[in-house]
Amino acid sequence: MVNQTMISLNNVTFKWHKNDETPTLTISKLNIEKGQHVFLHGPSGSGKSTLLALLAGINTATSGNVTLLNHTLNTLSNTQRDIFRADHIGIIFQNFNLLPYLSPIENVILGCQFSKKRQQKALSHSTTLSNEATRLLNALGLTEQYHTKNVAELSIGQQQRVAAARAFIGNPEIIIADEPTSALDTQNRESFINLLFEQASNTNSTLIFVSHDENLKPLFNRSIDLVSLQGAL
Amino acid sequence: MILTKLAFKSLLNRRASVVLTLFTIAVSVMLLLSIERIRVDAKSSFSNTISGTDLIVGARTGDIQLLLSSVFRIGHTNNGVSWQSYKYITSQRGVKWSIPISLGDSHKGQAVLGTSPDYFTHYRFAKKQPLSFSAGNPFSTIHGVVLGSEVATKLGYKLGDSIIISHGMGNTSFHHHNDNPFEVVGILNPTGTPVDKTLHIPLAAIDLIHGGNASHEHHEHDEHDEHDEHDEHDEHDEHDEHDEHNNLIGHPKQITAFLMGFDSPLYTLQIRRNINQYRPEALLAIMPTVTLKDLWEMLAIVEKILLLFSFVVVLVSLLGMLTTLLANLNQRRRELAILRSVGARPWQVFTLISMESLLTTFLGCVVGCALFYCALLLGADYLQSHAGISVNIAMLSRYELTLIGVIMAAGFIIGLIPATRAYFYSLSDGMSIKT
Repeated sequence: MVNQTMISLNNVTFKWHKNDETPTLTISKLNIEKGQHVFLHGPSGSGKSTLLALLAGINTATSGNVTLLNHTLNTLSNTQRDIFRADHIGIIFQNFNLLPYLSPIENVILGCQFSKKRQQKALSHSTTLSNEATRLLNALGLTEQYHTKNVAELSIGQQQRVAAARAFIGNPEIIIADEPTSALDTQNRESFINLLFEQASNTNSTLIFVSHDENLKPLFNRSIDLVSLQGAL
Repeated sequence: MILTKLAFKSLLNRRASVVLTLFTIAVSVMLLLSIERIRVDAKSSFSNTISGTDLIVGARTGDIQLLLSSVFRIGHTNNGVSWQSYKYITSQRGVKWSIPISLGDSHKGQAVLGTSPDYFTHYRFAKKQPLSFSAGNPFSTIHGVVLGSEVATKLGYKLGDSIIISHGMGNTSFHHHNDNPFEVVGILNPTGTPVDKTLHIPLAAIDLIHGGNASHEHHEHDEHDEHDEHDEHDEHDEHDEHDEHNNLIGHPKQITAFLMGFDSPLYTLQIRRNINQYRPEALLAIMPTVTLKDLWEMLAIVEKILLLFSFVVVLVSLLGMLTTLLANLNQRRRELAILRSVGARPWQVFTLISMESLLTTFLGCVVGCALFYCALLLGADYLQSHAGISVNIAMLSRYELTLIGVIMAAGFIIGLIPATRAYFYSLSDGMSIKT
């Protein structure tokens, strides 16, 4: 398999406000290839959230280029970036990932509700979106009895599996997980990460996993220390 | 569409507060519609009270006072019109018909009206509808009484019943005339006007219950006019109808007022001017349609205050919705961040939130209309019997639909406030979860 660059950052700086003296984030060069499982770590305040916001296209770089899948995000309009995110990126938050008024199945389907591309891809796996959601939830180890429960009745571990299924539905090329295991206990943590790997490998997605917990580092085939990455400029 | 579905589910999830908001809106909509329906129907009931009458003539007083006493049986005039004046005025050229009326007596709180049989042929209400009988006929003897529909139903009278009519107004009249019972000979169909609450007796009977001796007067009259018994026997056929008419009218000294219709409306102003300048007696002639309008305009301020109140109630209910939406919004920033993370654009977040308020207002209006019809069904009889307003249980009029449209628009505009706020939240928060 030819290594294909999925994400590349070149001379990127980011300032929250124009008049800030020092940028919050400074990355001279970062390349992530397709299918890599990257462990991104660094202490609080090291700019993890900022980097994720740049990758997800919520914020744009003050200078430099952020390129995903050959799209330079900082040249796209706000709407184009929103569409790009809907089409190509699945996101898992730390906790409280789910809309309380939707069932787990509906929460999963929400992942492709704002993207035609992901809807089509999901339907290429299963006949209906809810079948695809069910398939993913099963694959992530959430048994069917929980699929239609009220999300408030699920444990945090179960909720994170639903969130992961939502990120994976419709095979987005990039999965961003922002400390998804910090609310889980050690045992659940590893099994959850392994499930993520399994899914990411199945769909050949690039996984960017952010955590401050360095114990998880050995599980990944690549790790990036944000502090040293920033210092390199 | 996904946003509609999300709006519905989200409302359903917060059903407790949504139901309360919805209910306040519904109640305010019901209130506004009810007040408006009653106002419009009161106005039409009001202007339907009398029609086809060109002039009402009574002793000189205020225009509105004369209208109230002669048509609505509200208040009473101390002075009347002398019989001579009545005879003189109604003999003028152009007078098509005239109805003398004599008020001031009551039966169990219901007004008693002394009149001539012409009343049943010439009196018109609403859109020139004549009075019609649900049972029986106009009175043909001095002891006959014709009941308004409501008098009959309320007091449970039927044809052939005999009733006592007292002197003076009010329920607790001490001066009963037990020796003069009347027989119910006719019952009118409902009209939605004060006629329903009226007992109609021959003019001659008014004198009778006031202690006058009608037969004696009649006798005197016969002597004056030289109608002795021989004549009557000789010319029985010719005089029969005439006598009967005379019997029913008797020889009143004065009447409360009289109604007139003309051959052509051209006479109205001229005769009205003549009456108002009539020398022998101070009289007043009014055109009922004009005075009805004046009277309604006097009541317009009350009407406007009511309308204002109901609008304020609607406004308060919409502000209640705004408060709830804004209070919830802060708790929902996480939800907005999740939506943004799956690719929802800020304008979609905006649409979602404004759709929620629009849905709430819409459902509020629907429930409000349902409540309105419930209230109408329950209250129509009461309004008819206690206020004389015949409320129309019809479909929503174009005016009422406009009102609902205005409420919906107001709800939508108010909903734009939290929606705008959500828009900016989702721009500034992005996917970062803030609680």
